[in-house]
Amino acid sequence: MLKSWKLKEIVLMSLFSVVFGIVYLLFVHVGNIWSGFIGPIAYEWIFGIWFIVSIICMYIIRKPGAAVVSETIAAAIEVLLGNAVGPRLILSGLVQGLGAEAVFAATRYKRFDLWVLMLAGVGSSVFSFVYGYFLGGFSVYSTGYVALMLGIRIASGAMIAGVGGKAVADGLLATGSLRGYAISRSKKGEARA
Amino acid sequence: MRFHAPKRVRLVHKIIQFEQVSFRYPDEEKWILEDLSLTVLRGERVVINGPSGCGKTTLLYLCNRLYPDNCDGVLNGSIKIFGKDSSSFIPGEINHRISTVFQDPDSQFCMQTVEEELAFTLENLHVRREEMEKRISEVLTLTDLSEFRHSVIQKLSGGQKQRIATACALIMQPEVLLLDEPLSHLDPYTAKKYVEWLDELQQKRSMTIVAIEHRLDLWGDFFDRSISLKENKEPPPFDKRKSSKQDDVSLVVNKVSAKSFLQETTFSLNRGEIAVLAGPNGSGKSTLLKALCQLIPSSGSVEPKLLGYVPQSPEFLFLTKSVQDEVGFGGGINVDEMMTRLQLFPIADAHPFAVSHGQKRRVAIAAMLSDGREVILMDEPTSGQDAAALAELFQLIDERACEGTTFLIVTHDMEFAYCLADSVLLMRDGCLTGKFEAGAMWSDEQLLLDHHLLPPKEVMHREACFA
Amino acid sequence: MNPSVKFLAITVCMFTMAFFFDPWTPFVFWIAVLVLQVFLSQINWKKWLLFMLPFFVTAFGYFWTTLVFAEEQSGPVVWSIWNMHITEVQLNHALSLSFRVLAFSSLSLLFAFTTNPVTFILSLMQQLKLSPKIAYGVMVGYQFLPVLKDEFVQIQQAHRLRGAAQEKNALQRLLGIRRILIPMLAGAVRKAERAAFAMEARGFTGERRSSYFQVISIGKVDVVLVVLFLIVLVLSCTNGLWLS
Ligand SMILES: Nc1ncnc2c1ncn2[C@@H]1O[C@H](COP(=O)(O)OP(=O)(O)OP(=O)(O)O)[C@@H](O)[C@H]1O
Ligand SMILES: Nc1ncnc2c1ncn2[C@@H]1O[C@H](COP(=O)(O)OP(=O)(O)OP(=O)(O)O)[C@@H](O)[C@H]1O
Ligand SMILES: [Mg+2]
Ligand SMILES: [Mg+2]
Repeated sequence: MLKSWKLKEIVLMSLFSVVFGIVYLLFVHVGNIWSGFIGPIAYEWIFGIWFIVSIICMYIIRKPGAAVVSETIAAAIEVLLGNAVGPRLILSGLVQGLGAEAVFAATRYKRFDLWVLMLAGVGSSVFSFVYGYFLGGFSVYSTGYVALMLGIRIASGAMIAGVGGKAVADGLLATGSLRGYAISRSKKGEARA
Repeated sequence: MRFHAPKRVRLVHKIIQFEQVSFRYPDEEKWILEDLSLTVLRGERVVINGPSGCGKTTLLYLCNRLYPDNCDGVLNGSIKIFGKDSSSFIPGEINHRISTVFQDPDSQFCMQTVEEELAFTLENLHVRREEMEKRISEVLTLTDLSEFRHSVIQKLSGGQKQRIATACALIMQPEVLLLDEPLSHLDPYTAKKYVEWLDELQQKRSMTIVAIEHRLDLWGDFFDRSISLKENKEPPPFDKRKSSKQDDVSLVVNKVSAKSFLQETTFSLNRGEIAVLAGPNGSGKSTLLKALCQLIPSSGSVEPKLLGYVPQSPEFLFLTKSVQDEVGFGGGINVDEMMTRLQLFPIADAHPFAVSHGQKRRVAIAAMLSDGREVILMDEPTSGQDAAALAELFQLIDERACEGTTFLIVTHDMEFAYCLADSVLLMRDGCLTGKFEAGAMWSDEQLLLDHHLLPPKEVMHREACFA
Repeated sequence: MNPSVKFLAITVCMFTMAFFFDPWTPFVFWIAVLVLQVFLSQINWKKWLLFMLPFFVTAFGYFWTTLVFAEEQSGPVVWSIWNMHITEVQLNHALSLSFRVLAFSSLSLLFAFTTNPVTFILSLMQQLKLSPKIAYGVMVGYQFLPVLKDEFVQIQQAHRLRGAAQEKNALQRLLGIRRILIPMLAGAVRKAERAAFAMEARGFTGERRSSYFQVISIGKVDVVLVVLFLIVLVLSCTNGLWLS
């Protein structure tokens, strides 16, 4: 899978994963404090932030695997820096990345507009929720509560990861430093058309 | 996939061969290289020159095959390396035989410490583990860098990084060595030593050396041949300027010290004074300037607070999306004139991050000069500049000083310093040894040598006459 | 200890834990991990406490929300406040989840505090056959972290130096961060590109290497520690047998 990748794309992806791994960890601590007061639902509002790297990387690089791999690395970095969930988190990173990847794969890596990015955020939300339901012990909660959690998470995935991720990547594109990556090639193509 | 084939399978004489090569970046209309043909033979020492921004670095990237793959550039014509078409090599193959020292000392490393960086290179070459240790200490001894073996690369000074980069290139025992302005951040004494051992090394290993260089005087008669990418207009050599120092004080530095390395420093500069700060690589010049601008935590006091500053790596100063905006950012007096004089008009719309190294530095200088600051600090503004830009820079600084701006300039260029400076600040081991009036000090060879400096040519010339 | 082995051991422990819903298993396990930690590693306890603190809060959060929102309402009531009745099953679930949080967090802190990221990546590459392209990519990324941190401060200062407007109130400052974040990420992109150039220029192709300068090996210590971990795991899972 990585054969077709240029080295600079891989390094870029890893560097972003590392940067966002730290951002993630900061937000875990924010979430932790919150959840002490209002319970695990506190995470749901900001859950989208944990999917953002897969969307940014895929949006920039546009090659199969960008979402899964970046999310997994970010999770691994988080673990190394001391996330409470521990090595298991790498698995959840993988699952979240797969969620986004599935959406991109469904468009055959052809479409990268806002809707697709938001859908990818939703994909991550759903995948991660299903995973969380079985492993995180959500099954002890009442159905209504679980449904509420899912709803909030989906909204958060679409807004924070989808819209926010696009905003960050577009901001970067405007600085001109993304020349030589797929994202700016497509922009040129659109301009010509 | 190993490239351990015995070297010189077939004796090719022509190592690098360009035939009518044209190249342009994907977004630009202009061809950077046009119909270029050149040949480099085995064992030759070739220097490539041409004005700043004419595409020398681009040419080098084509030789080691980083381009066109990595930038989607458009390439016409044929490039043959080791007698084979360059696109027919498998990735990495060329880089096992050709090694490169890049231009910007800040951005050519991938590991944390010097030792790891060297080991990484050896691992790529599939060197056996038992042999690694030997080769690492060998190359470090050769380049006289053994003391840095366990240093963290990011914490070294600009010049030190540049030397490490050469060590990393040499450990590959390459057939061809590509050097992109390897002396630009070295102090004069180290530069001279560098040329000497490169000379020895080339004779021992009979490498082919292709270097890019603006200023050939440091190299003596090292090169066999020079290739000019564009005709250089020979600018007038600069003359020693008249001092414009006024009587009132404009910069007062009181007991500034920083991060355990920089000792307490106290000095002051007058209005219109041009002071040159010089000293060996790693003596703390950049650190001092950063401390003066409060870019790093420091104690002591500096008056005035707001200084103009051109850093050694100018990139992090850039805030806007085009060169034009960048120069005009601080309110800007006569932006257009500044752009014309520093030859920035051709790239006015380019993104400041996507221009050549020398151009980046000039953009930062132009931005600072048109900001109208009272005091301006410049960290190696001369490095990577061609003769024309250097002359223009000299003029600009001279004019501004006459209008009452104070300058503190770090440079390794002794000619430039000699003609420009009213006074010279010398540094060694993080400690300011003193402020000297320009004049007598230029012929105090012991003092100069203690600070890894060499007397400028003019002084040497004069002494030869007197002798 | 070999980081990959440690990683696998900890993962196994955590997965096993996830299937137990009684309060004793995670509790015993948590205590055992703490004991191991005290005897076998030099940890800065102040730092550890600082990191653990949020997790205590979380554990408490799990505790009371599980009590309030839990689905199962069966079993004998053990405790009632006002008109809320807390059953034994609920209480057990709540305690179990909270202890699980504590057990997991101390286990992962144990991993984080005793593992050097660089050795971990090297070991992943050498023992678990991670692709060198990714391994070195991550390593380069990781090494840029301190640089990026410095850069964050420097960009801020440079903006001030260039005379960019200073924000007064908190909201503007928050928006101002965006102005720093984008140049910083742009800087990161360029660094990534240059680092990739440098790697390629040093002959890196991403293929497997035939020898390593820094060899990470698996030794006797690893075996002993894994056995120790398994004993702890088995003991805590079978606590029903020996505690009752
Ligand atoms: N990535 C890029 N994208 C677009 N244009 C570029 C890029 N890099 C360089 N250029 C342009 O190509 C031209 C040649 O750049 P190059 O770096 O090869 O110059 P140079 O001869 O090495 O100059 P210097 O002596 O200042 O280092 C410059 O005018 C520059 O503006
Ligand atoms: N970020 C840093 N952290 C720690 N030490 C540093 C850092 N940057 C530089 N140093 C150390 O401070 C010393 C002075 O470095 P500085 O960059 O000021 O030298 P310099 O005089 O500018 O040299 P050059 O002429 O090579 O640019 C060096 O020995 C270097 O190792
Ligand atoms: Mg150049
Ligand atoms: Mg310096």
